[in-house]
Amino acid sequence: MLKDWLGHHHGHHGSPVHRLPAAIKLGATLVLIAGTVLLPWAWHAWFIAVVALLIVAALLSRIELAFLGRRLLLLSPFVLGVVLVNALQSSVHARWPALAARSGICLFTVVLLANTTPFGKVLGVLRSARVPPLLVTTLALMHRYLFVLLDESERMRRARASRTFQRQRRARWRVLGTVVGQLFVRASARAERIYAAMCARGWK
Amino acid sequence: MSGTELAGALAGEIAVAGLRYRYHDGTEALRGVNFTIAPGECVGLLGPNGSGKSTLLLHLNGIMPDKVAGDGSIRIAGQAVTTENLEWVRRQVGLLFQDPDDQLFCQTVEEDVAFGPQQLGLAGAGLDARVEQSLAMVGLAGYGHRATHHLSHGEKRRVCLAGVLACEPTVLVLDEPTSDLDPRGRREFKALLQGIPATKLIATHDLEWVVGLCSRVIVLDGGKVVADGPTAEILNDEPLMLAHGLERPHVLRHHHPH
Amino acid sequence: MHIPDGFLDGKTAATAAAISVAGVGLALRQVRRELPPRRVPLLGLAAAFLFAAQMVNFPVAGGTSGHLMGGVLVAALLGPSAAIVVLTAVVIVQCFLFADGGVSALGANLLNMGIFGAGGGYLVYRMISARVRGLRGQVAGVAFGGWFSTVLAAIGCAGELAWSHTVTWSAGFPMMASVHMIVGLGEGLIGALAFAAIARTRPDLVAERTPASGGALPGGVFRYGMLVAVGLAVFVAPFSCPLPDGLEAVAAKLGFEGRGIPGGAHVPVPDYRLPGIHSAAGATALAGALGTLVVLGLALLLGHLLVRRPEENAVKDSKQDPAQDQRC
Repeated sequence: MLKDWLGHHHGHHGSPVHRLPAAIKLGATLVLIAGTVLLPWAWHAWFIAVVALLIVAALLSRIELAFLGRRLLLLSPFVLGVVLVNALQSSVHARWPALAARSGICLFTVVLLANTTPFGKVLGVLRSARVPPLLVTTLALMHRYLFVLLDESERMRRARASRTFQRQRRARWRVLGTVVGQLFVRASARAERIYAAMCARGWK
Repeated sequence: MSGTELAGALAGEIAVAGLRYRYHDGTEALRGVNFTIAPGECVGLLGPNGSGKSTLLLHLNGIMPDKVAGDGSIRIAGQAVTTENLEWVRRQVGLLFQDPDDQLFCQTVEEDVAFGPQQLGLAGAGLDARVEQSLAMVGLAGYGHRATHHLSHGEKRRVCLAGVLACEPTVLVLDEPTSDLDPRGRREFKALLQGIPATKLIATHDLEWVVGLCSRVIVLDGGKVVADGPTAEILNDEPLMLAHGLERPHVLRHHHPH
Repeated sequence: MHIPDGFLDGKTAATAAAISVAGVGLALRQVRRELPPRRVPLLGLAAAFLFAAQMVNFPVAGGTSGHLMGGVLVAALLGPSAAIVVLTAVVIVQCFLFADGGVSALGANLLNMGIFGAGGGYLVYRMISARVRGLRGQVAGVAFGGWFSTVLAAIGCAGELAWSHTVTWSAGFPMMASVHMIVGLGEGLIGALAFAAIARTRPDLVAERTPASGGALPGGVFRYGMLVAVGLAVFVAPFSCPLPDGLEAVAAKLGFEGRGIPGGAHVPVPDYRLPGIHSAAGATALAGALGTLVVLGLALLLGHLLVRRPEENAVKDSKQDPAQDQRC
């Protein structure tokens, strides 16, 4: 389900949106979001234009609309809570329809970006933008080993669960703690091996 | 550094003498290992778990030169492995790790294969050509744009091999290259390796696989070399095999060794 | 509590971004100085670890919890600067790949979860582990620090929302604080259990960050404390003063209220306030303080329970992977 989201639409379609350089897509995203967040709600023209642009881009990208729709509907309880409280208060300036619309539009933009741009290309843009190399390397390695660690954690959890016979909640917490701890230990050991592999190919 | 005026005849020779190594907690992993591998030979390194195979392989790539206690020495193409010439050693010796995920740390295939040559100073069109050539060598031409985390296990192994070959090493050291490979993957990998002229030292549990690939095997147990000789001779020696946590492969039971 | 786009106005987003950029920049510089090269990949792996750990615990639709788990755990294991870098990576990836947290709110989310959360939580961890010796102190520190970091991050979040006039302080603060005082318990508990598990199998990983006796803080920690203080001063202090809706009360006094909100309808619903918060401001503060002390007590108890034998403090020489700890 997580793998569901993560970039299975990269490069598999040769759509015009996919082929756009990452820098342009990133720049456009930033401009769109800045405008949507900062401009007054009364400037309807902007919002209408942005929504139109996004719909066109989504269609051009040939990503399944069902997939996009599912992604957009995922609202965290926190977001819902804030919108609800906002609706109940009159003393706040931001109004809930504007709130919902702005965040929805920005969400759509980012989802489109994420699904039409390989992460490696985004990292390349960051590098050219002189983001500190340490941070870029960390982002790169995080992205690379995300799945690997997720798989490991899933296997460990299943293995532990299959050996847990107590139904109490206490056991469940213990299992979680142990799995998380083990996951870190493995991640740490893997990091050492990666360093060895980097050295082995000449990294200084 | 005299590495560059290396005598061609010795290129790809591995000579290990009296190699000893201790872990932090004092256990001896290697207790005086001796062997010499001639250029171009393909040698299998066998032994039970805990025999010190992986440790030995890491030494060959200079990953722990200073921990050599006693008077052990490792010479690659006649040059001793020391902290000063690690860079040169790593250019000569390509190491393929057991878990391809450890080695495949870049985002895309071409980035990863390019990593080694880039460190060596290649760039631009020359780099691209080297990457393409290496990918072609392992049968993965056109895979350059693929994301590394989406590859199958066999593909990952081959990309790792491409990444190592891209550095044009004279010696290839492989740690358990067939673990997690399906039978077809193993056959394909064997064929791949047979086509590479570098000196090869392959640590493996896969005894069947070794037959036909390696002309010679070295058996390691308890940090020492307990056998060193032609593959068929050693693998057929059932008492020897069983004594060191191995066994006589089925392939040899029905073949006549030549 | 990843704040999405549109919930924060320009000034809030910019101010939070400024503070967090300063903090992250500081952390990066510190890490470059302190971290040996062989541990560089560990930053990326720790970030992946945090993400995977969250999934283990909250495998629901979003795959992300309502808050960020493990900041203090990572800080206790790798140091505060490394932890901030790690959390930055996590928050950025969550923002761009999972649209969890807005792009314009990146600064605020980093401030809440990275600087307030990991930085503030780490300070608390240090205070406890300096006072209670050995592994017990560390475990208790991770437990309380984890809880504290969650609550602190939530308070920062409430402050930012209030400054942006998305939710008033008088509604936002009690809700965020109370919910996260509960949520934080889970964070603290799992963090402590994980830390204890790591200490059992790999005491060497845990010993590296044991505070030296005398409590000399690692470089930069004092500056993080300053940043946390600045952040709190900007986003929380104005609201914590006796006038619950600080800025609005000031605006009313100066006659700005009722100017009309462009594009918004005036909803005839009385201002939502918690019953009695005015007169019971003191009572609320007291309740909060008591709750904190209770959690502190629980954390210390947890340390006691999880570390059966205090002699586990001693760093045992474990047989390590030979590839580790080599000069390359």
